[in-house]
Amino acid sequence: MNQFWDPINLVIVALAAGFLLPLVARIGKEVARSLFYLVILYQALLPLVWLGWLSDGAPPAEVFTAGIAPPFAINLLMGLHEAFFVASVNLIGLLGGWYLRERLLDSPVGMSLFVVLTMGVDGIVMTRDLFNLFIFIEISGIATYGLLALEDNGKSLAAGFKYIIATTLASSFFLVGVLVMYHLTGTLNLDQMYGAASSISGPVGIAAMTLVAAGLVIELKPYPANGWGLDVYETSNPGVAAMISVGVSAGALFALYKALPLLVPFHTALAAVGGATFLVSNLMGLQQNHARRLLGYSSIGQMGLVLFALIALGQLDGDPEKIAFIVAGLFLNHLLAKSGLFWLAGSVGRDKLKDWANLRDHPTLLLTFGFLLAALIGLPPFPGFWAKWELLMALAAGDMPFWIAVVLIGSLLEAVYLFRWFGHCLHGEEGTPVLREPVTTSLYPVYLCVVGLFAAGHWAADHLGLDATWTLLPVYIALALTLLDWLPGRIKAIVVLIIASVYAWHIAPGLEGLQGLFGLMLLGGGILLTIASFYREDHRVGYFPLLAMLLLSMGALLEADSGLQFFVAWEFITVASYLLVALGKDSKPHTLIYLIFSLGSAYLILGGLALAYGNTGSGGLADLSLVTNPMSAWVLGLLAAGFLVKTGALGLHVWLPGAYSEAPDDFSALLSAVVGKAAVFGLLLAALSLGLKGGANHWVMVALGWLGLLTALWGALMALFQEDMKRLLAYSSMGQVGYVVTAIATADHLGWTAAAYLAVNHLLFKGLLFLAVAGVILRTGTRLMYRTGGLIQNMPITFTAALIGIFAISGVPPMTGFGGKWLLLNALIEKGWYWQAGLAFFASAVAFLYLFRLIHTIFLGQRKREHKDLKEAPWALLIPQLVLIGMIVAFSAYPLWLIQPLADLMANFLPQTITWEGTVMKTHLGYWDGFMVINIVGALFLLPFLLLLYLSRFMHIQKVKQFNIVFAAERPETPETTHYAYGFYRFYERALGDLVKPRATAFWNGVSEWSHTLGGTLRGLYTGNGQTYALYVVMYLAVLYLSIRGTI
Amino acid sequence: MAKRLFIFLTLLAVAAMFFDFASHFRPADKLSPLAEHYVAEGPQELGAANLVTAVVVTYRGLDTLGEVTVLFLSAAGVGLLLAGRRKREDAEPQEDLHPSSELVQTAVQFLLPIAMLFGVYIFVNGHLTPGGGFQGGAVIASGTLLLFLALPNAKLHHGIMGELESFSGFGYVLVGLLGIFLAGGFLDNRFLPLGDFGRLLSAGAMPLIYVLIGLKVGTELSVVLERFKGE
Amino acid sequence: MTISVATLALGTGLLLMLIGLWGLLAQRNLIRLILGFSLLDTGIHIVMVSIGYVTGGTAPIIDAAVDPAQAVHTVVDPIPSALVLTAIVIGLGITAVMLSFAIRIHDRKKTLSIEDCTESKG
Repeated sequence: MNQFWDPINLVIVALAAGFLLPLVARIGKEVARSLFYLVILYQALLPLVWLGWLSDGAPPAEVFTAGIAPPFAINLLMGLHEAFFVASVNLIGLLGGWYLRERLLDSPVGMSLFVVLTMGVDGIVMTRDLFNLFIFIEISGIATYGLLALEDNGKSLAAGFKYIIATTLASSFFLVGVLVMYHLTGTLNLDQMYGAASSISGPVGIAAMTLVAAGLVIELKPYPANGWGLDVYETSNPGVAAMISVGVSAGALFALYKALPLLVPFHTALAAVGGATFLVSNLMGLQQNHARRLLGYSSIGQMGLVLFALIALGQLDGDPEKIAFIVAGLFLNHLLAKSGLFWLAGSVGRDKLKDWANLRDHPTLLLTFGFLLAALIGLPPFPGFWAKWELLMALAAGDMPFWIAVVLIGSLLEAVYLFRWFGHCLHGEEGTPVLREPVTTSLYPVYLCVVGLFAAGHWAADHLGLDATWTLLPVYIALALTLLDWLPGRIKAIVVLIIASVYAWHIAPGLEGLQGLFGLMLLGGGILLTIASFYREDHRVGYFPLLAMLLLSMGALLEADSGLQFFVAWEFITVASYLLVALGKDSKPHTLIYLIFSLGSAYLILGGLALAYGNTGSGGLADLSLVTNPMSAWVLGLLAAGFLVKTGALGLHVWLPGAYSEAPDDFSALLSAVVGKAAVFGLLLAALSLGLKGGANHWVMVALGWLGLLTALWGALMALFQEDMKRLLAYSSMGQVGYVVTAIATADHLGWTAAAYLAVNHLLFKGLLFLAVAGVILRTGTRLMYRTGGLIQNMPITFTAALIGIFAISGVPPMTGFGGKWLLLNALIEKGWYWQAGLAFFASAVAFLYLFRLIHTIFLGQRKREHKDLKEAPWALLIPQLVLIGMIVAFSAYPLWLIQPLADLMANFLPQTITWEGTVMKTHLGYWDGFMVINIVGALFLLPFLLLLYLSRFMHIQKVKQFNIVFAAERPETPETTHYAYGFYRFYERALGDLVKPRATAFWNGVSEWSHTLGGTLRGLYTGNGQTYALYVVMYLAVLYLSIRGTI
Repeated sequence: MAKRLFIFLTLLAVAAMFFDFASHFRPADKLSPLAEHYVAEGPQELGAANLVTAVVVTYRGLDTLGEVTVLFLSAAGVGLLLAGRRKREDAEPQEDLHPSSELVQTAVQFLLPIAMLFGVYIFVNGHLTPGGGFQGGAVIASGTLLLFLALPNAKLHHGIMGELESFSGFGYVLVGLLGIFLAGGFLDNRFLPLGDFGRLLSAGAMPLIYVLIGLKVGTELSVVLERFKGE
Repeated sequence: MTISVATLALGTGLLLMLIGLWGLLAQRNLIRLILGFSLLDTGIHIVMVSIGYVTGGTAPIIDAAVDPAQAVHTVVDPIPSALVLTAIVIGLGITAVMLSFAIRIHDRKKTLSIEDCTESKG
């Protein structure tokens, strides 16, 4: 072993430098500073070298102090776990030292404290002696107290005092516990003590264990004995806060880890403490508006999660390597993201979250901030994601569904407050104070954290057996495109089209069956609608990277073989579409809701996948069908619920109108027509694997059927009363996809053929309508229908597109819509779902009303004076519309072109129910000849049309000019009321208004309010009084003791 | 008041725990194997008559180095908080400290050298008799305290104190290092000859270490006292 | 029943600890709080020493009073004695830091009541 890399040098070098630094500073500040840098560099390099050696299989290094073998003298150990923790902490020390250099330059004592603090944590990790552990805990503790004194104001000092009281109490407990353990086991050497753990029993042993457990767990800031930690996070220097949140917590965690074999009776209680802390901290974070205190809540929560994972997984007797992966992943993720955020918060220097609005003027900072938040939430590709995934799978395998729910709910709450913060940056009000220009060099550590997160995430994906580069390709492409974001928008659009096409071309051969069909829809449709983005001339910063990410991850979703791959792609879709929606001008009020529901959906799916894994032990998507009853009903229910959130099922739809209508206009088309189909794909996949099983699964499917129809009806009813054309289309999307859900719920061949047919058709007409509307909005500058009118003369092609679109929706011949309704009604009646069939029929009648209004109000009737010179929509919008029109017409004339392949596809899963004779399609209930129908209907239209044309030649016809209408002598109070199309269905509203009250919104508002109130109430425990905090600390001891005393 | 009640109940639970503990506690009637080894083998192994010193300086030398570190850190913390605080704008205006009576001053002049000498004696003989570096350093610091009591406006020479403090700490680490290079490991006292058991120059580097610790503790505590006094 | 010296010392130490805890939890003045901590700390030290006591043992110093051959049966455990030394020094260090925080808090806020140190909460 090379003397230079001897682990004991971590202690020697830090102490020698620590003692000398105040003296060296007398020679010159620069000299002291150089020494400081050298030392923290060495501190970081040494464990890294060891990490390399140990992971190459070198044996762990044991250091015998005093040249005497343990147990007679203190020994240190540098094993793989130790090397990892020491390396992580010291790396943050290195970056943190760099970050703090301005502050420390004036204070050589500060440098000493910093170096020794890092050394203290290293010692906690490496020592194999229980009392020596106490010494190192004290060293890191007192070094922290000293660093807290760097901020010399009343608030910080008060916080520091509370911190000292609490941690001192904790270490006092620990000290007494250690001595009693010595008394019982006759040794202080940990390895010997593990062997003698059985003698730690009886009332004396329980007291010892309680004291040690309480002492160590308090250092991890468990709820509610953690107010002192929060205060320090809020008030101390951000560089110091980062070190406490990361370094000191790492030490506390490792100390507890080492003591665990001595605390076996407390394992369950400690795991519960960790889980509860994670959940409650995140709940309380909801209402927090102070940036660093918020990070404090998140820190405490994250460490709670790590604690929970460490102990719970240990109790499950899992594979130690897997436990190490999970704990290391969660910890590394917290380490990099949290220290990065603390440093960033320090450089931004804004305490109020809403003052962060101006971060958007600094794109690099905004991006960095976003990455760090995403990592903290546990989104791919960051290490926390992979670790959380493995954690949930392990919990499922260990049959702990309750804790799965805790972890998922906690994660969702954390996402809510962190993205609320991000929302302030994206959409906050102008006029908030301008950022103090951050010193760029002090941000290098933050950037390095982001790089580290990406690298660790990539490694983790590789470790889990994925092809990391390929799996994470969507993100990498987006990153690469971000570098090109200075190019003009249209050039970037071309780049995106090329990338997406090459990608689609590449993966197409591998997609078959259901995946092939959806490949055509998601990728083909996506590429087609991307063409529309040429219609804008501006740069559209951020739009194209995200678009590329979205398109590629939809491909990845289809390619997925395993639940993990599927979920990664799903998360990418979620994030990319959230950010794309957020690019909309007025999207502020809707983006957060969109994200919360999207993540909620993702976590429901994750829960379902985890339960499935727990049941079958396999992560393959194909093995979903192996899940046994009754668990399969739970899995199906969770997966379906997750996908239903994204289809906007009634009750879960509250995010939908806002997101669909406030997204950028061309993206709305993509979102509704294409991205929404990803959820349909998922639902079909779930139904395919699990929906055909009997038992409770059947009832899940029945519920799904009703829900789909109610969604269809309510979507239509709500669309009826909209004035905003995009909102109308949004509700229409919700309703139309409801039919698809019902069709899937039938779980028979005819139904699924109908589902696929309806999905394809919805893609065609909704893409068409959203693009048509985008053209109208571009030209008129308004989304309110009553502000438009008579545009048929200016925009004839757009009018035609809209006309074809609404024909295609409505279930009347001759267009494609009829085929869908016909198949659906066939399927429902076949199934014996007569009531449902009736409801479907009624809902489509309602749909007709709003569709009529769409075309009638915008394109017919009176044209506004100011709209006289409007031009047709740009070609970029018209080209994809024309393609879609072509397809609708083709499929209308030859429905078999569409239905036959779909029916054949579904016949792979269920017995074929449709037969063909020429152009005639037959089911048990009847037949339909689409080709003949279109000819007959065409003839019926054509004849009167020709007749009218002919008559108009000969008759005297006066064209009604726009303004030769006479109003009565009536002065309308509001101008819009003069428009006949305003409140067009007012009379229906009077009758049906009660039905469309925003009950779902009210319900979810209630949920939100309730969680905020609960969080607020729980936060009431943090009175700010240090003595109360001390009381909580002592209570922890008391409660732990009482809880264990009765059981033994 | 609710808080009082909670305090009472919590302390009641803690008291219950203590009572359970104390009532089931069985005092040791023989040494633990670890202690037995120290007592039986320690004198030959390390050459120290005071076994506590053998444990403190060598067997658990890392603890002691940590202990010195803790003291250093707290002195540094006190320094950060209190150094030059009289000059800061928010502190109360400096009141002139009255020197104490002549009686006290004379007594201190008499006692101070003895106290200092006694402190040195304690840490130099730490491996033989009760006492050691910390105890000796504390006695030296109490000498400083006496000085301040007698002459409240006395000032310590910061340059010398700082150098003494830094070098004694650094020297301790260095002596530990010599253990690595010349003997079995970090803080091994056996790189110097163990000498004759019971003599002043025995037990290898133990006296050296205790001298360094004594100096460090003495200077550090003295500086801390001066900080509290207000410079 | 006879109570041994060790148990008596242990009981005293635990009682001191309780009193110290009470001081920490119930006194409002920062200085008194710190005194509470000192009591707690002292209690801990007594507990430590009493744990190391071997009935009838003498100080673990091999001098004229102790026969080296019989030392194993005549001295008390040197380990807790060594540990308590360390613990005392650490306690001292912490007390010093606490006191300086109290002094600075008094400088800044002109109060020594812990109830006036509640700027950050919630």
